[in-house]
Amino acid sequence: MERKQIEDASKICGVPCEIITRFIEEEWILPVDQTTPFLDSEDMARIKLIWELSNEFGVNDEAMPIILHLLDQLNRMHLELERFRIH
Amino acid sequence: MSDPYQILGVPKTAAQEDIKKSYRKLAKKYHPDLNPGNKEAEKKFKEVSHAFDQIGTDEARAKFDRGEEFEQQNQRRGGPSFYDTQHEGGRYSYSFGDEMGGADFFENLFGGARHRDINFPGEDINYKMDVDFREAALGAEKVITLADGKNLRVKIPAGIDSGKKLRFKGKGHPGVGQGAAGDAYVEINVKPLEGFTRKGKDILSELPISFLDAITGGEIEVPTIDGNIMMKIPAGVSTGTKLRIKGRGAGPADNRGHQIVVLKIVMPKNIDPALKEAALNLKDQFNYNPRMQ
Repeated sequence: MERKQIEDASKICGVPCEIITRFIEEEWILPVDQTTPFLDSEDMARIKLIWELSNEFGVNDEAMPIILHLLDQLNRMHLELERFRIH
Repeated sequence: MSDPYQILGVPKTAAQEDIKKSYRKLAKKYHPDLNPGNKEAEKKFKEVSHAFDQIGTDEARAKFDRGEEFEQQNQRRGGPSFYDTQHEGGRYSYSFGDEMGGADFFENLFGGARHRDINFPGEDINYKMDVDFREAALGAEKVITLADGKNLRVKIPAGIDSGKKLRFKGKGHPGVGQGAAGDAYVEINVKPLEGFTRKGKDILSELPISFLDAITGGEIEVPTIDGNIMMKIPAGVSTGTKLRIKGRGAGPADNRGHQIVVLKIVMPKNIDPALKEAALNLKDQFNYNPRMQ
């Protein structure tokens, strides 16, 4: 899977580097490789989503982790239900 | 080139704030993470986002209004949605499970049951069925098509009332694992029939009679749900008198209710002078005070 550094991810996502760094500090983004950090397509799709939520839909910093948690929960349930359907 | 003003549903003179408001509304409606797997919504969202990129800021809008070509600086509006990266198993959706101690999601949800042992009963399905007044009173058999395309033979018990639900075990949605299928419920709606109403197993009807019949009595034809029959009316009945026709109500053939006929005395539309004179003569001879009876 292709991995990008923050600068590259910033260009691709159209989100400033310092904003991405803040997302990582807030632990809303958990880079696939946390040492450098490197970001993969999942991270970048999430960065775009968080940017849209905060910048365009007016979601504030307090509400953001709740929304993300619920979203992850919902996606996990989708997956599990899909597994049930297949079984 | 499609018009971003039109896509966002705003006039060319709209204030910047109104453009943003309209974009937010549409973007919320079509956002791919709010419409997982809906390709049409995703396409709409991209259109709306692109339109907003063109006129969403004073600078971009001025460029667009001058007719300058729009240049997308990045792939922010392209690429997979977050849902797309998760729906086949992504780190983030799995990290949710990890937060719960790395255990299986359903294991947590159902207090330790093993994934493969979990059985869900299927959901019930509700149907509605219109039934003729006569069919509801005397019973009938009908066939309805279920959600899965199969036919279901529905036996309508004689004397059923509106709102009653018939249950068909196992004819609902299938269960998960060893879970039993849900049930199908068919709610009955009895269609009205002019001239008749139901009260439990009895059928009520109103019968208009002349004042002469009310005085003399006699045999009068009465409609029933089995066809017209002749009914004896005793002499001296009043409006509101109830007469019972045995076994012409609702219910199974060997245990039917009754038809209750409520009489209503109706005067002739025009009073002939000769009738008035005859009545005056009768009044002299047979007058009575109905308020004193």
